Amino acid sequence: MKPVEIIIIIAAAAIVVGVIVAAIIRKKKGISSCDCGCGCAHCKGCGIKKPEEEKK
Amino acid sequence: MIRFALAGNPNCGKTTLFNSLTGSTAHVGNWPGVTVDKREGVYKKCAEPIQVIDLPGIYSLSPYTPEEVIARNYVLDEKPDCVINIVDATNLERNLYLSTQIMEIDVPMVIALNMMDAVEKQGDKIDAKALENKLGVPVVAISALKGAGLAELMEAAYKACKAGRSGKTVLENGALAHLITDVKIALSGQGVDNPLFHAVKLAEEDELEVKAHKDTVKMVEEFKETFKDDTFGDDFEALIADARYKYISENFSSVVTKKNKEKFASTKSDKADKVLTHKIWGIPIFLVVLFAIFHLTFSEDFLYLGKIFGFSSLEELGVDTEAFGGQLLACFYDGAVFSPGVIINNLWNNIIVEYAFGWLVNIIAESGMSVWAIGLLNDGIIEGLKAVLSFLPPILVLFLFFSILEDSGYMARIAFILDRMFRKFGLSGRAFLPMIMGFGCSVPAMINTRTLADDKERAATIRVIPFFSCGAKLPILTAVAGAIVAYFGVGNADLITYGMYLLGIVSAILAVLFMRNTTLKGETPPFIMELPAYHAPQFKNLMIHLWDKAKHFLKKAFTIIVASTIVIWVLMHFDFTWHFLEDEAVDKSILAQISMLFQPIFTPLGFGSQLNANGWVFVLAAVSGLIAKENVIATFGVLAAILGGVIEANAEGVGEVARMIDATGIGIPGLIAFIAFNMTTIPCFAAVGTAKAELMNNKSYHGTLIFWIVSSFIVAAAVYTIGSWWWTAFIWAVAIAITAYLVVLYNKRANAKLNDHE
Repeated sequence: MKPVEIIIIIAAAAIVVGVIVAAIIRKKKGISSCDCGCGCAHCKGCGIKKPEEEKK
Repeated sequence: MIRFALAGNPNCGKTTLFNSLTGSTAHVGNWPGVTVDKREGVYKKCAEPIQVIDLPGIYSLSPYTPEEVIARNYVLDEKPDCVINIVDATNLERNLYLSTQIMEIDVPMVIALNMMDAVEKQGDKIDAKALENKLGVPVVAISALKGAGLAELMEAAYKACKAGRSGKTVLENGALAHLITDVKIALSGQGVDNPLFHAVKLAEEDELEVKAHKDTVKMVEEFKETFKDDTFGDDFEALIADARYKYISENFSSVVTKKNKEKFASTKSDKADKVLTHKIWGIPIFLVVLFAIFHLTFSEDFLYLGKIFGFSSLEELGVDTEAFGGQLLACFYDGAVFSPGVIINNLWNNIIVEYAFGWLVNIIAESGMSVWAIGLLNDGIIEGLKAVLSFLPPILVLFLFFSILEDSGYMARIAFILDRMFRKFGLSGRAFLPMIMGFGCSVPAMINTRTLADDKERAATIRVIPFFSCGAKLPILTAVAGAIVAYFGVGNADLITYGMYLLGIVSAILAVLFMRNTTLKGETPPFIMELPAYHAPQFKNLMIHLWDKAKHFLKKAFTIIVASTIVIWVLMHFDFTWHFLEDEAVDKSILAQISMLFQPIFTPLGFGSQLNANGWVFVLAAVSGLIAKENVIATFGVLAAILGGVIEANAEGVGEVARMIDATGIGIPGLIAFIAFNMTTIPCFAAVGTAKAELMNNKSYHGTLIFWIVSSFIVAAAVYTIGSWWWTAFIWAVAIAITAYLVVLYNKRANAKLNDHE
């Protein structure tokens, strides 16, 4: 296997693992995972809490 | 860090002020209910950095909807160092109602008299100093839009927060003054913070206060036995509200000098509303506006001039479309003038994407790397990316048009004119606003349902929001519609796309009708909403949000989509024993074998076992859409490169679908059913997570998942069967009639049971 092919495999694995880990970390922090870019009030990583939690 | 909260009525300019103070680009929409959660930023131009918190708009501190609860709780529980109460100066009396309530809290307070530019434009005058003397809190005139008076406002707020403040009520000389004083003393004795505020709320018998102070509310009940107002009887809430408005009217009408003394002068917005909210023409006008948006975005025959005048194609005109000049011309015209959206799309794909990726593909192909490495990079990542990136222009153009509708104030009118129709289906017009947000993205749309007070109405709205095709589903619609036109030579892409959006809306209405008469039955809440004045969309705001949208789309493409295409390519090139497979043996791959297992399930929908040996590709594409809907087209991109095909189409994405049609033998009804299925099925993981967070309980959440699966199967099956055998429309009509009859029967029995219990 050529060195560049090894780099391609490592990079591909890193991208896949990185995206999954980032999603898990965002979920644990309670941050919106939408990333839809709609420019709404929630696009900069706000917390999604149930309104009931706000009532307490 | 000291914290200042921005509180005020919906649409008074809080988020505009927040953006101006913090340099943020939070979304500002010209309709009430845009902000449904607090946002934080930092103002750095004062003596020390100040954290600024933008709260959702509220009309009073007696919360009616979940987002009003967020605003109230923040002010009471988080104890900001100062509350900046933004007041719409063009509507002073209504806005000051909330101010008189905030004044009762023991918190430093400053009033920001916003939209002074609009006041001056009308030729009116407001004496801010006189207002300050009457209220006893600093009042600063500002224009958040123009950025005027902001430094003075923050200086005044900073001074106020250092000075501190005790609550004061405008009801101290009213009929309930003694009751309020006594309750305040009782609450102070119990060590309750903000005793004056809570005393007034208890006198109003506010739901939250009664729950929190069960013992003290007895004082109010005892007082009621001895006191009855001539007008309001023992309705203390109405009595207090009336007292506040009387106080505002008597004391503050003098600070405003109006140029036009006529009480109900007709403004330009009123005149426009006579047409746009007409009870007969309002909805047709809205449908025409919606069609115009789709025509401007997707039409390959702008204003149908090509059809009307019979324009010649470039080939007939002898233009060399292989040369760069010919390619450039082909972006604008080829037998018809293209719409602006299509022109931008063609320039992006045929010039920018094609040259950029074409160059990269060639370098990789000639690099001398192994076949698998070239395959992964070219057929996997690049093809998948190209397929998705090709849709950036129509997404942005559509987003731009919807933003213009929002910013202008027309969106609020649509909610108003649809209320009469929605009410028949069990929803108020207010539910329409989150649905329209669903055209952008389901996640903020579902969060925006916090503006709905009724839990069942919220649940019904959340369930149908995915039916309003979001920006991520647009590539599916556009690619499949374009492929139908390119491959079969029938129809117009813009009409097919418009038709599918309408199908989503009709499906949503039917689903709501069913839910609100069965499992989510309830009273339709009243709909009262302020119609904001029309104004020309702010170019700067539009461009900022367009850029935000583009940035996030590109970020998603280069992260989630790239990761998905890598996984799909790998699982398409290895079998269960992890042997590498050539393209010809792709049907032995892990993904193909799993997809083939599920393929029969989709037979009633037109993309199952009736297709040829490669038919599983549609199953795989639909499932990959659960991660992100753009993945459907990205999957087609990867598969098209693997399965090959002889069909070339002009546009990216469209070519991939055309190759899928060729490879699988799917027909038009199956393709339309495929779109319908993707439009109505379980949305992306992000939207599913949001639905779970916003719904009342797990039962409601699981019911929602089942609803999405069942409804997508029903809608897609109906589309496929009617499209393939027209006479099945009668069978569907009978089925709908039987369902309607069963629903009526169910309601009769439920009502009978209820009457028996009573």
